[in-house]
Amino acid sequence: MYRPWFSLSDPIWQNFDRLNREMEEIFNENYFATPGASGTRTPIPAVNIGETPDKVFIYVFAPGLDPKGIELTVEKNMLTISAGRDTSTDIGEDQKVKGYYRKERFSGKFRRVIALPDGLDTSQIEAKYSNGILSISIKKKEEEKTRKIEVAVS
Amino acid sequence: MADVKEKEMAVKTETRPAQEQKRQPVVMTPPVDIYETEEGILLLADMPGVPKENLDVHVDKNRLTIRGEIGDIIPKDITPLYVEFNGKAFERAFTLGPDVDVSKIEARMNAGVLNIFLPKSEEVKPRKIEVAVE
Repeated sequence: MYRPWFSLSDPIWQNFDRLNREMEEIFNENYFATPGASGTRTPIPAVNIGETPDKVFIYVFAPGLDPKGIELTVEKNMLTISAGRDTSTDIGEDQKVKGYYRKERFSGKFRRVIALPDGLDTSQIEAKYSNGILSISIKKKEEEKTRKIEVAVS
Repeated sequence: MADVKEKEMAVKTETRPAQEQKRQPVVMTPPVDIYETEEGILLLADMPGVPKENLDVHVDKNRLTIRGEIGDIIPKDITPLYVEFNGKAFERAFTLGPDVDVSKIEARMNAGVLNIFLPKSEEVKPRKIEVAVE
């Protein structure tokens, strides 16, 4: 009896194909840029970092948190953010749930460590949480600030 | 000689914007939870950065559209160092079943989470019928 060495309809190869597609999705350039586009796959909130002449700003896109439960720590140049949320608390207590159609939002705890650029004064950190974005600003050390040097004409 | 140099410069300035355009996702799809309760449908959507006033929830026939523009939070003179989140707005549309009472939809926004409640119309709600015993 002739049986091909492998065929694509073989369950093993179907799994391989699925794995391949998932890997492609993960390494897709937009994977982190679109939290939620792929549903439940992005438990870690997205982070943007930018700088102005005298400060560095860090934005963490983490909606639905209780601000009291956000923990921020700095050790050397590592900033650690840990927080979490329980999406089941979004359902009002008077509601009797019969079932669900979609559950894509992340529920649970997360922790993210960010390596800070050099030259920051980590004793001067401000953080606030509004509209689901945690904004952290850190002052640069005096000597790291962008300065303008006047050119003398003689 | 000067001519050649000028041409090179022109080529360089042309390639730049094309590279920047590659990172394009501006309107993003928010992740949602949709529950069915005894009273109606509860929809929760993650839309970080969207203030209440930038939110647009509307129903056209049986189509519910949610859209929110991300507010200005970033200082004007900022230079990006590292970017993972590149969106300017969130948008998603849903088809509603016939048993939703469109006139009674309630929407709230809290900490970047949109909470919409779509009550079922009275006809489809389960009712208890009291049986009178004589």
